[in-house]
Order: sequence, then C-alpha cells, then structure tokens
Amino acid sequence: MDLWLEWARGPLFRIAIAFLILGLVRHVAIAVFEIAWAVRRAGDKNIPYRKLARATLAWLVPAGKLGHRPLYGLTTLAFHVSIVIVPLFLGGHIALWARATDLAWPAIPNLLADVLTVIATAAAVLLVIERIAARGPQMLSRFSDYAFPLLIAVVFGSGFLAMHPALSPVAFRPALLVHALGANLILIFIPFSKLSHVILMPLTHLISEVAWHFPPHAGSEVGLALGKENEPV
Amino acid sequence: MSPAEPKPRKYSYYVEARALEVTDRPRRFLETFAAVLEHSNYAVALDAYARVCSKCGRCADRCQLYETTGEERDVPGGRGDLLLRVYRRYFTIGGRLKARLVGGFTLTDEYLDRMAEEYYRCVACRRCKEVCPMGIDQGLITHLARWLLAEVGVTPKALVLAVREQLQGVGNTSAIPVAALKNTCEFLEEELQDIYGVTIQFPFDVEGAEHVFFPAVSDYLLEPDTLMANAAVMHVSGGSWTIGTGNYDGINYGLFYSDRMMERIVGRLVAEVRRLKARKILIGECGHATRSAWFAPTFCGPDAPEVVNFLQYTARALREGKIPLKGKVIEERVTYHDPCNIARAGRITEEPREILRAICRDFVEMTPNRTHNLCCGGGSGLVSVDEIRPFRTRKMGKMKADQIRATGARIVAAPCANCKKQLREVCEDNGLADVQVVGVHDLLLRAIDFGVEPKAEEKVESSSQAMA
Repeated sequence: MDLWLEWARGPLFRIAIAFLILGLVRHVAIAVFEIAWAVRRAGDKNIPYRKLARATLAWLVPAGKLGHRPLYGLTTLAFHVSIVIVPLFLGGHIALWARATDLAWPAIPNLLADVLTVIATAAAVLLVIERIAARGPQMLSRFSDYAFPLLIAVVFGSGFLAMHPALSPVAFRPALLVHALGANLILIFIPFSKLSHVILMPLTHLISEVAWHFPPHAGSEVGLALGKENEPV
Repeated sequence: MSPAEPKPRKYSYYVEARALEVTDRPRRFLETFAAVLEHSNYAVALDAYARVCSKCGRCADRCQLYETTGEERDVPGGRGDLLLRVYRRYFTIGGRLKARLVGGFTLTDEYLDRMAEEYYRCVACRRCKEVCPMGIDQGLITHLARWLLAEVGVTPKALVLAVREQLQGVGNTSAIPVAALKNTCEFLEEELQDIYGVTIQFPFDVEGAEHVFFPAVSDYLLEPDTLMANAAVMHVSGGSWTIGTGNYDGINYGLFYSDRMMERIVGRLVAEVRRLKARKILIGECGHATRSAWFAPTFCGPDAPEVVNFLQYTARALREGKIPLKGKVIEERVTYHDPCNIARAGRITEEPREILRAICRDFVEMTPNRTHNLCCGGGSGLVSVDEIRPFRTRKMGKMKADQIRATGARIVAAPCANCKKQLREVCEDNGLADVQVVGVHDLLLRAIDFGVEPKAEEKVESSSQAMA
C-alpha cells in the first residue's frame, strides 16, 4: 500500500502534471496562433477587444448570470469556486509542492478547506442529479458528462476522509490512495476533454468574434477551389 | 410555382428540382468543408467549440423554439454538434485516428438530410450565445452549416430565387425594373404632396451625394410610409442622399445561406457607392441588410464606405434639432421590437427608442428587450419561406406573440422588412389581428412638422392601402 501511495504521489503525479501542463500549453499555443492567423487574414481587423474582455470577465465572475434556473447556476458556481481553490491552496498540497520544488505559497485555513471540500463534493453530486432532472442538459449529456463530476466527487470525498481519519469509515491509506489516483486521472484528462475549458474559456469569446471576420475573398476563393467561379446562381 | 412543375418537397421547405438530382453528396460536402476551412476563419471557432462545450444545456433555456416545442432536436447545443461531429471526425487528427482504429461516425446522405432540416429550424438569432459561459455562437455554426449545405444544393428555393434575380436577373430581389422604381417614387412624391402638402423629391443618381440609399427593395412594394418618411427626414434635415439606379437593393440573402453570395452582394453595394462617387451606404429599415452591409470592410477593405442605418441618421438629426416635430402625436400604446441583426450585439438599440419616445405618448418596452430580445421568429431568411408559415408563426413566433400581447400595445414598431412581414403573420396567426405592425419611420412621418397645413390629414394612415 505504501509503495502504491508513493508511486501515486511521486512518479504518477509528475507524469500527470506533465500531461496537464504540456497539454494546456499546446491548447493555448494553438488557439493563440489560430486567432493571430485569423486576424492577420481578416479583411476587417477592427475587433472590439474591450467589449470581449468585459464579456469574458463577466463569465469569470458570473454574478447576475445565474439564469432562470438559479439552483443549477448556484450549484455550478459553488462547484467551480471550490474545485479551483482547494487543490491549489490546501496546506497539505502546498507542503507537497514545497517538498519537491521549494516553491510555497500561503495556504487557506484547514477549516475553510473542509467547508469548500464538502461543498465541492455535494455540488458535484447535485450537478449530476440536476443534469438528469433538467431536460435540456440531459438531452445533450454524454457518458463523460456524468463521469467527470462523479470522479471529482470521489476525489474530494476521499480527500476529506483522508484529512479526517476519525470520521472516516475507511482507513487513512486507502482513502489517500483513492484520492491521489483519482486526482492524477483528472489532471491527465483535463487537456483531452471538455475540461480543457479551464484554459480555453478565457479565449472563446474572442474566438467567436474573430471567426466572423472573414478573409476578404473567402467566398470567391472557395468558389474557385470548387470550380464554381462561373457557375450560375 | 406553376401546377405543371413538380413540387420537390423533400424537406419542410421547397428546394429546386436540380437540388434533388445531386449525387455523391457526402463527398462533395466534405470537399466544400475542406475548402471553406482553408480559405475562411471558421476553423478557429470549430476547433475551440469542439473542445470546450460542456453540455451544460444553458442554451436550451434561452431558445425560443425549444421552449415552445420541447423537442430534443431543438436544443441549440445538440444542433451545433451535428456539424461539430463532422468536423471532429474528418478534420481533426484525433477524429481521423479514432475512425481508423475503432470506426464510428460516417457522413451519410441521411445525416445531410437531417442537417438540412435542423439548420433551417434555427433562426440564428444568437440568443443562446448570450447565456453560454463559453460564448459558443450557434448562429455562426448555423451560418456555416447552411453554406456547406448550399454547396451540395440544399437551400430553400425562395432564397435562391431571390439571389438569382438580384445577381443574374433584374438586379434586385423583388425584380423591380428601374422604370417601375421611378414610377413608385413619383407616386410617393404625389402622396407626400397630397397628404402633407410638401414637395419632396426622391433623388436619383446624384453624383457626389453623401449617402446612397439601399432599403430592403421590397419596401418599394410594401412599405410606402417608411419610404415617404425616409425621404421626409432627408428633406427636413437637409441630408444629402441619392438612390442609385445601378443598385437599389439592400437585401442580402447571402447572409442566410452562402458567404460566396454574400461577398458578391456586398460588393455590389460598394460598387454602386463608388460609381456615384458617394461616401456612405445608407441602409433603410432592415436588420439583415444592415448587418450584411457591416461586412463591407471585410470584403472590400478598410477604405470601404461607411455604413449608416437610417435609424442612426434620424436619431442624430433629431438630437441636432433638425427634425421639427408636432409633439407626441401618437396616442395609441406603442412597443418596439429589436431586430436581432442590429440589436443582438448591442449596435443599434437606443436610436429607435429616442425617436419613439419623442413622438409617442404611451411607449412601453417588451420584456426582454435590446440585446436580450426575442426573435420575430422569421429570422435568417425563414420569413421568405412561405410554405413553413405554421412553423414560423405558431412555433418559432409563439413566444413573440405572447410577449407582444403582454405589453397591451396596439402598435408594434419594427425597423426591419423581414421582422415586419413575420410579425404581421405572427399577430394574424396568434389572435392579435388588431395589432398594427409598422416601421419606426412610419410613425415619425405622422409627427414631423412640415410647417404647412396638411391637405388631407384623414389620409395619413391610409397611404398603405392606397398603394396596395
């Protein structure tokens, strides 16, 4: 068990982080390159950057964006806030980083981390229930749309149990192992799945605008490529 | 359509007979897709959309069609995925690899038929983009999908016929020859004289004018009050404008089904302005004509003429005190419909309200409004497709009808030729027959103080019927 735990926290974690970082860097590099390429080709280079930045920020701080299903909106918000804060600012996680890299940053109080962890776990389960209950999302959902929140719930739930052995029905080591393995799995999945929105979301509003800025002769070039330049309407 | 001609009705809408003879469609569709990705900027969006859509379903909450039908196929995210699936499978490394290893999705004729149906159940109003945390623009996907479908022959016949008339026929979508146009304008001049006692001219081919006027050409057949008001505003404000006999049609159905056509039609606008050595494109009360004209710098470079919508011109003239008014002469309750193509991105929302507030005693807002407005239900060219009227008015337009009803307004002002036609039909088909749908300028005309005694005030509201 100890060997597995060491493996999950050591080599596997390093591989997972490598996948995550390289994958996300690749996404950003491709997206930035494509945006720049599109703008360079565009006939109308007048892009409302400020307006787009405001629209993007409005979603990063989505107050007033809860929509007409406030419960779903609130769950989503609580979910995202807690799953971003806890992994990055839990004292135990920072200690792991410090051990490996000498890098450290201020931690949040453990009590706050506990509260956020419970919120994250509950919100992840609620999200799945709401996804099943609401017809719109349910019709769109694939297997992974249920699997990811559940996996996240398992990781946060097991993390909580590992932090509180006294409350835990399972032993410390198995709980920690499940936690570490699940977390590594998520890190690896991020660049390969819809979870890549963690890094791409700040760019998508800009992308939606840029795509409407066609190259000057996009239409006729396509006509030419298809041999339709002289074809009657 | 003559009775002798067979009626190809494979889809909800008519397509041309030749469209049904096209063979080998999946291959041709993919060839087109490849060419479009190479020459346009759509790839950047498809690449991101294919990755980030979280299937959260918020788009469903905002779709006026899905809210009415509750049908699975009407969830915007799902509809968008029809095209994204093709993109992933054939144009991404992962998709091609997966297909080679485990098979899976293949583009078929039946799949194309499904796309042809679904992408003409979307009005590309882009309301769903407003609530998408990722900003995914389903309107863009619909726009692109329709272009790809058009290149394999699938487009509602009504749209193709209009564009054919514009690019290869008489030169405009309503097939109005120059002589008839001039006749109509003379008639409108007489009407202005008879009703308002003023001599106002519709100027033709004036070289060096500031604005060249391009209304939806159908206005010359259907909206005399709007046109008379346009001329009257120019008259009282001392505006410099002209109608070009080389091209007098602002309509651009290319926006609805083909960038290839859109590029050519925008080019014709710019060419006419340059022929007349004028400076600006002045678009009449028409949403899609305005939005497509905004593509002028895209297709014709940064020195393309500036685009002005008539509402912008009039609101500015009003602010500068150039339009003398008799006061708030419109007594009935008036509400305003924001056309998606000018309002969704927030470009023209306040100008019409400034005008209406200056002339209406009882102006009320619809809810939601401005950038959040509901589509009339006939957007993206669907209004021209007569055979789908029940779909347009009862399904797509149902929420719009409820929204109008809730205001209690007797008059709906809608500065868009397409919205006006659709809203009249929506009102007829949803028990709102007593609601009048007019242009913003139509109402303004009643309020302009020409400084002369009208000769026959009682005729003010009847010029439409006279013309009909």
